Amino acid sequence: MATSSMQADPTGLSQQEIRRLRRRALLALRYLILVVLALLFLFPILWSFINSIKLPSEALAVPPTYLPTEVSIKNYEELTTYGKIGIAQHVYNSTVVALITVAGSIVLSTLGGYGFARFNFPGKNVLFIMVLSTLMIPFQSILIPLFVMIVQVDLHDTLFGLALVYITFQLPFGIFLMRNSFLAVPHEIEESALLDGCSSLSVLYRLMLRLVMPGIVTVAIYAFINSWNEFLAALIFMSDQDNFTLPVFLTTIRYGIWGDVNWGALQAGVIVSIIPSLAIFLALQRYYMDGLMGGAVKN
Amino acid sequence: MGQTALLNLSWEQRRKLTGLLFVTPTVAFVTVFFIIPLIMTIYMSFHDWPLFGERAFIGLANYEELGKDRQYLKSLDFTFRYTALVTPPIFILGFILASLVRHNIRYIGIFRTIFFLPVVIGLGVSSLLWVWMLDDRIGVFNKILLDFHLVPKAQLFLGRPNTAMNVIILSVVWKTVGFTMILLLAGLQAIPDELYESAEVDGAGYFRKLFYITLPLMRRFIALALILSVIGSILSFDQFYIMTRGGPRNSTISIVFWIFNNSFTYFKMGYGAAMSIVLLGILVALTGAQLYVLREKE
Amino acid sequence: MKIRSFCLGLLAIVLVLGSLPLAAQDDQINMTMWVRAINFQTQELVDTWNANNDSQIELTVIPSAEFVTKMGAAIAAGEPPDIASIDLIYTPAFAAAGQLVDITDFVRELPYADDLTPAHMALGLYEGRNYAVPTAVDGSFMAFNVDLFEQAGLDPDNPPSTWDEVLEAARAVSALGDDIYGYWFSGACAGCNAFTFLPFIWASGGDVLSDDYATATIAEDPLVREALELYNTIWEEGLTPEGASIDNGSNFVSAFTGGNIGMAPLGNFALSLFQNDHPDLNFDIFHIPGKEGGAASFGGGDVIAIPAGTEHAEEAWRFIAWTLTDEPQIEIYAANGQIPVRLALVDNKYFEGDERQSIAASALAVGHTPYTTVYNDLFNDPNGPWLEMLQIAILDGDIDGAIELGQERFTQIMEG
Repeated sequence: MATSSMQADPTGLSQQEIRRLRRRALLALRYLILVVLALLFLFPILWSFINSIKLPSEALAVPPTYLPTEVSIKNYEELTTYGKIGIAQHVYNSTVVALITVAGSIVLSTLGGYGFARFNFPGKNVLFIMVLSTLMIPFQSILIPLFVMIVQVDLHDTLFGLALVYITFQLPFGIFLMRNSFLAVPHEIEESALLDGCSSLSVLYRLMLRLVMPGIVTVAIYAFINSWNEFLAALIFMSDQDNFTLPVFLTTIRYGIWGDVNWGALQAGVIVSIIPSLAIFLALQRYYMDGLMGGAVKN
Repeated sequence: MGQTALLNLSWEQRRKLTGLLFVTPTVAFVTVFFIIPLIMTIYMSFHDWPLFGERAFIGLANYEELGKDRQYLKSLDFTFRYTALVTPPIFILGFILASLVRHNIRYIGIFRTIFFLPVVIGLGVSSLLWVWMLDDRIGVFNKILLDFHLVPKAQLFLGRPNTAMNVIILSVVWKTVGFTMILLLAGLQAIPDELYESAEVDGAGYFRKLFYITLPLMRRFIALALILSVIGSILSFDQFYIMTRGGPRNSTISIVFWIFNNSFTYFKMGYGAAMSIVLLGILVALTGAQLYVLREKE
Repeated sequence: MKIRSFCLGLLAIVLVLGSLPLAAQDDQINMTMWVRAINFQTQELVDTWNANNDSQIELTVIPSAEFVTKMGAAIAAGEPPDIASIDLIYTPAFAAAGQLVDITDFVRELPYADDLTPAHMALGLYEGRNYAVPTAVDGSFMAFNVDLFEQAGLDPDNPPSTWDEVLEAARAVSALGDDIYGYWFSGACAGCNAFTFLPFIWASGGDVLSDDYATATIAEDPLVREALELYNTIWEEGLTPEGASIDNGSNFVSAFTGGNIGMAPLGNFALSLFQNDHPDLNFDIFHIPGKEGGAASFGGGDVIAIPAGTEHAEEAWRFIAWTLTDEPQIEIYAANGQIPVRLALVDNKYFEGDERQSIAASALAVGHTPYTTVYNDLFNDPNGPWLEMLQIAILDGDIDGAIELGQERFTQIMEG
């Protein structure tokens, strides 16, 4: 680098111009890589979408067609009438469960993360490890005992009961992340507020919350995605078909006894199930970026 | 009585109490929905416990049987191999993506969203999607490969153990790397730009900045992403259950798959419980080790 | 402190009282019923019942692959449904575990008890007592593409009736072109092949299990070996697409609807599916033949039973008995292309003129179903011995090794 800048430039460009050009070339390269990667990442979803708007029979064609010969919403129509109640009720169920899970996870993770990050109390490490260990058992193995518990507190077959279980399984991640977020906030900010006589809760609420917003949003996204997509517990805990969540409903799209799949309808279902999660992410992403751009973390 | 006692506490003691109160809801949840079921699982592991029907206490027999269960050992081996193979690509690609979308250049939000998009799909649905794309008859991959004459005939990606492993890894990387990217991005953005600027003034190149500034300062985020990724891989189930059903020739039966089979297909709940407890022990040890390696040196 | 605990106590009392009137009002019988997600007309049955009766049934459709998991969990937690439509092969396991209500006395009162499909009744029997009656019949048979048969110079009116003829037909159709294949089987689907491959052995007089279902006869019955050789030939000669070897059932039906497959063994469920979704498909069916002739079918489908622990066993039985009467059997079953579960009703106004329906129905007469509490572990489990044996024999060509392994693993499971 140093030697090249010493040499006389035959094109007569000033060093500043060269640097600017180089920066531009690098930026162009970055965009090129980004676009290529983006296309690769998008491909499966685009392909699913393309197939969802084919006619049901064309969606099963061998070999597949690249583009639909006829654009059709028949696969989507099929979803609205599928089963006894159609897809709308299941979308609603999944939304309710996901929202309760998100709200619960945010509140518990924020409180717990703050407690574990900023306070010393007896048994702290033991409790922290206990929370984290939730992550380490295959959920399938405590499914039956968990179901027995849920039945005993009479919360089976309720969206609320299912959400409670989901919240529990979001906690290790939530607590870990929020603890990290609080640890990253310099002590001085909080201490000055405490010295000013604020209670711990109001310090958290008035001051810290803004500073850990990216963490909270990440917890929310994670909780939403996981509860929105979970299948096995939703199937076991719900007995009334009206309470089935979207993933359970989508599984019934496989018709036939031996797992034969109605691909067209399934692709339509995939697209429908992606939209809310995507919307949440898009909506929160701005917030998430704002939280970062606010400079709270950097200062 | 509570009121006066509280007032008499020292500041230190009150901080302790407050801290406990903050974590109480979490601990309550974990106790009811995790610890109690876990204790029941441990209890079950000492029993011959069919999913329905008569139960009998059999002591440690379930644990003793583990050593003789060839498929259990095979599944352990497979699961660790899978974890070792899937973790590096998720991490390297996740870090590259996070670096690429780190700065707020124009349209960067769109790219972040696109890379994150697969994460919002459930693993079950994404597995079905991939099975469909990998199919030799109706699958798009074979269609493209054949149209461009890259292969002489349709490939059976899920038909051989090696290719099955590779395409499953590909699908899992696609599905999960966006999440690792977001975690690492949060870590990257928490690093003040001034640090890089002063390092550049000192003449530090890309790799020196990477190893002396970026990675050390992101340690907490890397630890979180790594632990989540490793635990997720060891507990993986859906992709094998849906994409290969354990095949070809039972070569892709993960450990949780085998637990699920024993509990819900062969109805041996007690045996499944014993396997789960052993797996829990392994994971606790592994996570402890990771936390130790990645600990803050203060 | 005292005031607070008083308040809490009061709250508890209010909550308890609040929940009481609900229970007291409840003199109408509400029942729950579960069915796996298959193409049967259960919803219409339940709707018709609910419209004409005081008692009401709420139907829940459970994803097929997870039905037993969900039933097991519900039983373990003491929350089973009042009525369950169960894959018939699971009935011995549920009955043996004491999870079904003994309905022997009810069944005896049925005027047409002897007319119900024998395979289903046999599976509903445990230690001489009845625990279930048929509710959905699904026998296996061979479907063939009439257009491809004609192009290959085969006579669609005289479909194959021996193994050799099946093989010849498959060769003839395969010769039509690179993308056309004579035969299809889902090579990675355990259940599909129990349903469609076992009848080849049965039709020839062989079996993989002894008559009392107590031991495995894989190694001693030569017909098992010969049937494996038949499929191995089909595979090695490339008469089936290579992809068949990895199909776990996703293409069990759709492979045939693609129009480039000559023959595929399927079941009743495929008939109404083809008629509704693929009206242009020109297909016909024939019985799965034995080596030198004969015919057999796997008697599959669902039985209906009353899980133990319900408070509404009598009312549940009233519903079940009603589903077996003429009206629903003809106007709901037959009208929807579903075969009645009473043999006498198979000849009905809806099936007249559709020879395919009568061939499918006549498969019931040759229908057979293995009776064992470990059916699932033996045959249906994708990681079980049945599929492993088939794959090693048919795809790898190691028939001796496959038979040895199959015999060993079958015996291991059957001895518990």
